[in-house]
Amino acid sequence: MSGLIDGTPWPLAVLVWPLLVALLPALPGGTGPALRLLPVAPLPALVFAIWGNPGSTAVPDLLLGMHLGAVPAGMLLLGMTAAVWAAAGLHAALTIGPDRKAAILCGFWCVTLAGNLGVFLAADVVTFYVAFAAVSLAAWFLVVHDRTAAALRAGRVYIVMAVAGEVALLAGLVIGMHAAAGTAIADVRLALSAHPAALALIMAGFAIKAGMVPLHVWLPLAHPAAPVPGSAVLSGAIVKAGLIGVILFLPDAGGWGATLVAAGLAGAFGAALWGLTQDNPKAVLAYSTVSQMGLMLMLAGVGQAAAAFHAMHHGLAKAALFLLVGTLAAAATGLQRRATLVLTALVAASVVGLPLTGGALTKAAAKDGLDPVLSQALTFSAATTALLLIWLLHRLAQSAPGAAAARASWAWLMAGPLALTTGAFLLPWLIWEGQTASPLAAALEPGKMLAALWPVLPGAALAIVLLRRPLAARPPGDLLLPLMQVAGLLQHHRLPQAHRPAAQWPGMRPMRLILRLGRAEALLQGWRLSGWLMLAGSLGLALLLIAG
Amino acid sequence: MSALLPVAILLTSLVPAALIFFLAQQSHRLRNALCLGGAVLKIALILWMLIAVAGGATHEARLSLAPGLVILLRVDALALLFVSLSATLWLLTTIYAIAYFGTKAELSRFFGFFSLCVAATTGLALSGSLISFFIFFELLTLSTWPLVAHKQDRPSLDAARLYLLYSLPGSAALLWAVIWLESATGPVLFTDPPDLTGLDPASLRAIFVLFILGVGVKAALVPLHGWLPAAMAAPAPVSALLHAVAVVKAGAFGVVRVVYDVFGAADVAALGVGTPLAVLASVTIIWGSVRALQQSEIKKRLAYSTVSQVSYIVLGAALASPAAMVGGLAHLVHQGLMKITLFFCAGILDERAGVKRIEGLNGLGARMPWTAACFSLGALGMIGLPPMAGFVSKVYLGLGGLEAGAPWVLGVLAASTLLNAAYFLPLLYRLWFLPAAADARGDEAAPMLVVPAVVTALASLGAGGLAASALSPLGWATLIVERGFVP
Repeated sequence: MSGLIDGTPWPLAVLVWPLLVALLPALPGGTGPALRLLPVAPLPALVFAIWGNPGSTAVPDLLLGMHLGAVPAGMLLLGMTAAVWAAAGLHAALTIGPDRKAAILCGFWCVTLAGNLGVFLAADVVTFYVAFAAVSLAAWFLVVHDRTAAALRAGRVYIVMAVAGEVALLAGLVIGMHAAAGTAIADVRLALSAHPAALALIMAGFAIKAGMVPLHVWLPLAHPAAPVPGSAVLSGAIVKAGLIGVILFLPDAGGWGATLVAAGLAGAFGAALWGLTQDNPKAVLAYSTVSQMGLMLMLAGVGQAAAAFHAMHHGLAKAALFLLVGTLAAAATGLQRRATLVLTALVAASVVGLPLTGGALTKAAAKDGLDPVLSQALTFSAATTALLLIWLLHRLAQSAPGAAAARASWAWLMAGPLALTTGAFLLPWLIWEGQTASPLAAALEPGKMLAALWPVLPGAALAIVLLRRPLAARPPGDLLLPLMQVAGLLQHHRLPQAHRPAAQWPGMRPMRLILRLGRAEALLQGWRLSGWLMLAGSLGLALLLIAG
Repeated sequence: MSALLPVAILLTSLVPAALIFFLAQQSHRLRNALCLGGAVLKIALILWMLIAVAGGATHEARLSLAPGLVILLRVDALALLFVSLSATLWLLTTIYAIAYFGTKAELSRFFGFFSLCVAATTGLALSGSLISFFIFFELLTLSTWPLVAHKQDRPSLDAARLYLLYSLPGSAALLWAVIWLESATGPVLFTDPPDLTGLDPASLRAIFVLFILGVGVKAALVPLHGWLPAAMAAPAPVSALLHAVAVVKAGAFGVVRVVYDVFGAADVAALGVGTPLAVLASVTIIWGSVRALQQSEIKKRLAYSTVSQVSYIVLGAALASPAAMVGGLAHLVHQGLMKITLFFCAGILDERAGVKRIEGLNGLGARMPWTAACFSLGALGMIGLPPMAGFVSKVYLGLGGLEAGAPWVLGVLAASTLLNAAYFLPLLYRLWFLPAAADARGDEAAPMLVVPAVVTALASLGAGGLAASALSPLGWATLIVERGFVP
């Protein structure tokens, strides 16, 4: 009999600490301290990601035998995720008052965080699935926190897709576990190449989470609906749970590369263009996330090792952008407003990949050894990214100053995005070694930098035209809009929440088919049938006696 | 000693039953002491036996009524799984029932039959021969009837009538099956599988169908399930007993015994009756969930959910692969823990807040946080979300389906998960997110009602979170399958 924990206990502590904080709001008077602890909840994970040893840990009694141990890509994303949650936690602690709604948010914030960290640390499929379920389902509480009609509708779309994704993922993983005769992720990944159906189910689960076109439809609704810190973790960190899934489970052979490349490119360019129809800066950013995730899914689909490196930069930058949207609303003076917008522009430049920014480096690493056509596509995506982010800056500059009641001081709110921006700019320089084979100097050649720069110019030019003649504004949801009209969900959503018999979600009516089933069942509940059965039974017994 | 222990365990509920019937209505204290004393003593004896059985010992008590009619009480690992589940939940239900009824009328009658019902379940679990199984099965039917009819109002009497309406033909079928089989093989003991070579396959199939009809009524297999949703008219502790501890569990347990100890997994496969049973279980799983979706009374929705969930156990038995068996047996415990939590909570909501329909749940989370939290945990477990116990059953049943060459089982489990989410999540949404009605009331100032729900909710959380531990229901189910059913 082995001990309770085999190996280093730190990965387990990283997961347990946020779960302990999650219990705090359940205690009387615990919400205030829990809010203040939000920025600290991911710190053990951050420390572990920087200094820890990703060796293996086993906790044989937990779940179906828990095994923890991150791959290098997982450690990279673990650190990014912890940093994003810390900065967003600071924003939440500063902007959210300790009421009942906040208690619910705090609890599930920490559960979501633990799940988000768990997907990067899990070494067996059951732990991975549990963590994935936690990050998916608990994040619903971040989406609906404001309880507005839009947030509740986004929450409904979100939970339906999240549960569907869970079910698909579990079915696929069970087939994988059976084929591999074990639960180690590495074994299951190998076994999956012979089971295309299982792989398809698993990929559907990850695609929903990562916002892959056409399963991304929840994302542009949910990410803007959440409060600012919630949006930051959703867009920066939580979507990466889908990406690490693809990185961990996609076998080298299996035919999914082409699908991911096609869907990834469709998302990369399609979402960037649809984002131009959005007025709400957070919706613009959500579409930018779909677009950027498309690129990362493409990279992961072809097995590019630097996909996680690129994703790390995107996570830090995107979370900073979302937090800056919230910070801007708290800017009291013109100077504070301008400073916020300048920092936003800097982060945007890094996402576009202007020379010497962190984004330029991770993009260069991602292009290293990439198929030339895909490499060109990645280069060209800078044009649509520039277009979309200039549109974002325009929308932010247009937003009414001081719209939000300032609960918190602007300077404190700036600290989080500032730290994330610093990370996004500097980290790619610091950890370049080990992420890709070619030396850093190769990425800094003037020719390469110029080649990466040219698509920005047409993008910027197009943006200037667009600022003068904006596209007609559309509600977020793109592909979902016609679908929801068909399903009548939009209409139902407008109905008042009256008391209705047999209503599921307020506003839904029982289907006719189900009513028929009820009538069919009533036929069985009478003396006639029972009497007939008794008679048949007695006759049978009599026959048996005669025959015997 | 080894013969005494099973009999002693049976007597811990039989003796209180016999005494309670003669107590006056007012002697609450003595009655409660008898009920609780019996329940605690039983758990102590079972713990003693658990330790012995884990070490490999078996206990047997034998009584020959007539030549060929052997009452055999025998303790094996499977019997212990069921008996420890029912004993633990019985104690909690007793505590709950004492608080629930307070000083209401006809309590000596109620607790008498209540104890008798548990005695029958215990006997059923410990039965080592087909005849003793049958006798206790019938005793269970008869002792449950007065509990369902307890309120003596129109719906309760109708429900009790419907219960007999379904049970009696079931009993006839079971008796027919027992006589037919034993006339060819002699007395069937579960320890040594009967020699079935004397019967042709057609007869064996017919006997199997009769057995399933017999135990299927209690297991609420579609289309034999109609009595169960009607029986929700009974008081909440009775519902808890019906759905989690005794009656439907007896049916599911019976399916396990018939498949593994009467016919044997290999013969079931050879006769080609395993797959049809698995299909029937799957139809039940889906049908129960779809019907649950339609119900707007809380207890009725839970009742249809039981119809659906109990068939997970039948599905595990029918698939006849080791992993499926482990999943099914673990679910015997998991479903019991989760469903009893839900029924405890439904009873609290009814008693303390007057809420019977799902509309009444709106906003109760703030007023009754403990109840709402336990209800939420139970519901999430039913959906099969980790780390609650339901998810462990689902993983093992899925693996078992693949082992048995029936990958469609995964589709059934997936559909069931989605349907469970569709009928449970809106309830949680109402509890926690919708504003309460203006005239809403409700409090939790009844610790003897709330504590049992908290205990079972935490147990179902623990059964999932610590599933890999040897002491978990999954660990025990694995032990049973490794010991007895390795094909």
